[in-house]
Amino acid sequence: MESKVIVVTSGKGGVGKTTATASIGAALALEGKRVAVVDMDIGLRNLDVVMGLENRIVFNIVDAVNGKCKIQQAAIKDRRVENLFLIPASQSDNKDALSPESVRRFSAELRKEFDFVFMDCPAGIERGFENSVAAADEAVVICTPEVSSVRDADRVIGLLYARSVTPKLVVNRIVPEMVERGDMLSHQDVVDVLSIELIGLVPMDDQVVVSTNKGVPLVMQKGSKAGEAFHRIAMRLNGRADLPIEIPQGQKSFWKKIGLKIGVGK
Amino acid sequence: MKGVGDSLWVTLDAAQPLVAICSELKNLFERMGNLAANARVVIDTGDLGGSEALIRELEGFLKESFSVASVSGPPGNRTRAEDRMRKRDMDRSWQYYRSDVLMLSGRVRSGQKVAARKHVLILGDVNPGAQVSAGGDILVLGSLGGAASAGQPDNTESIILALDFRPTQIQIADIVAAGLPPTPERTAEYARVEDGRIVVEDYLAARPFSRLPWPEVR
Repeated sequence: MESKVIVVTSGKGGVGKTTATASIGAALALEGKRVAVVDMDIGLRNLDVVMGLENRIVFNIVDAVNGKCKIQQAAIKDRRVENLFLIPASQSDNKDALSPESVRRFSAELRKEFDFVFMDCPAGIERGFENSVAAADEAVVICTPEVSSVRDADRVIGLLYARSVTPKLVVNRIVPEMVERGDMLSHQDVVDVLSIELIGLVPMDDQVVVSTNKGVPLVMQKGSKAGEAFHRIAMRLNGRADLPIEIPQGQKSFWKKIGLKIGVGK
Repeated sequence: MKGVGDSLWVTLDAAQPLVAICSELKNLFERMGNLAANARVVIDTGDLGGSEALIRELEGFLKESFSVASVSGPPGNRTRAEDRMRKRDMDRSWQYYRSDVLMLSGRVRSGQKVAARKHVLILGDVNPGAQVSAGGDILVLGSLGGAASAGQPDNTESIILALDFRPTQIQIADIVAAGLPPTPERTAEYARVEDGRIVVEDYLAARPFSRLPWPEVR
């Protein structure tokens, strides 16, 4: 199978791109694929923190692109997951350190080494975004069910189409109880506006905060609903596109369930 | 003077001084006697609409002296050129007109701008955050959620129509309106300018163009 470069982007900041990149990358590596996750947030790096590898950084992507080191020297092997490698960002430069052309050349090298390359795109639509999508074959757009996030995701999808990169949608941080009450947009509202292929729905999960702070992959946490969702997304990206989408359901308390059976209450 | 239909048609020469016209009219109307009361009078001065002022004066005079019901100029005369054009249009099925309409199909996304010199027709939706502007009308056969400005820069006759009308902001010529909550039923609505303000109505109920008896190029 040919190597794929996938950019994980959103437009809006703080919607879960880094979490998604780390989780989907880990899930694919657990399936046996050789995966590289690349942090393109030059100057504000955090993919390394989320993966628990921040004290192993010697070289970063700017060094590798400028030829100061080889890819194998910059790529950090993950402690827990086989076949998963991280190419960290530089913390001291800013996004002008790279250019779309240099990223394209670098990605051609990466394709030779890895089956999947995930680019963790920074927020915004300026140079960081341009660099990240320069070499992408596909895009995963992360969107939360909030009006501002949908608006920004719509803009980004327009920009991706203009570059002929096919975007696919992940709706993140769904709170089913709020959706039922009508306080939160349903995933269907989001899909109606954005109108692109949906590849996953991820519920809000406290485990994300726990695993981020500990530096443990979310997909290896037992009982994490978000981790399971990201695992399914990884499978859909890996060729099983027909895996049915699971809609996050609220936790119904015991009494509510009995009430439903009897017919009392909603 | 002669009777035409239900009115009295008076042909006169507008160049004559007002006093002479009035005395002539007095003669004519006095001979008519009772028939003059409550009659509709049409003053035909031969030229097309240049004699509004004269007609108003005669109106005052005739109403006072002979209690006529109304005085007006001749009904809308079409020029010969217009007549020729209508016949030509119908003979050639309006086929020779070049299209002044930019027609797009698909979804206009946030941050995209569609600008047309004349009319815009969109088969699809316009997402919030998108902008559509036109020198003429804007028609969206779908949901309009973004900002639309029609009739740029100064055509107040333009309309903005959408099957699901929920724009963030609309502008026709230089008049801007915003802030209307969308109606819950999904009916086709359109916005137009009335008395210097933008008015939004149900299109199928208002049927604004059904009054026009002849297809005119817009």
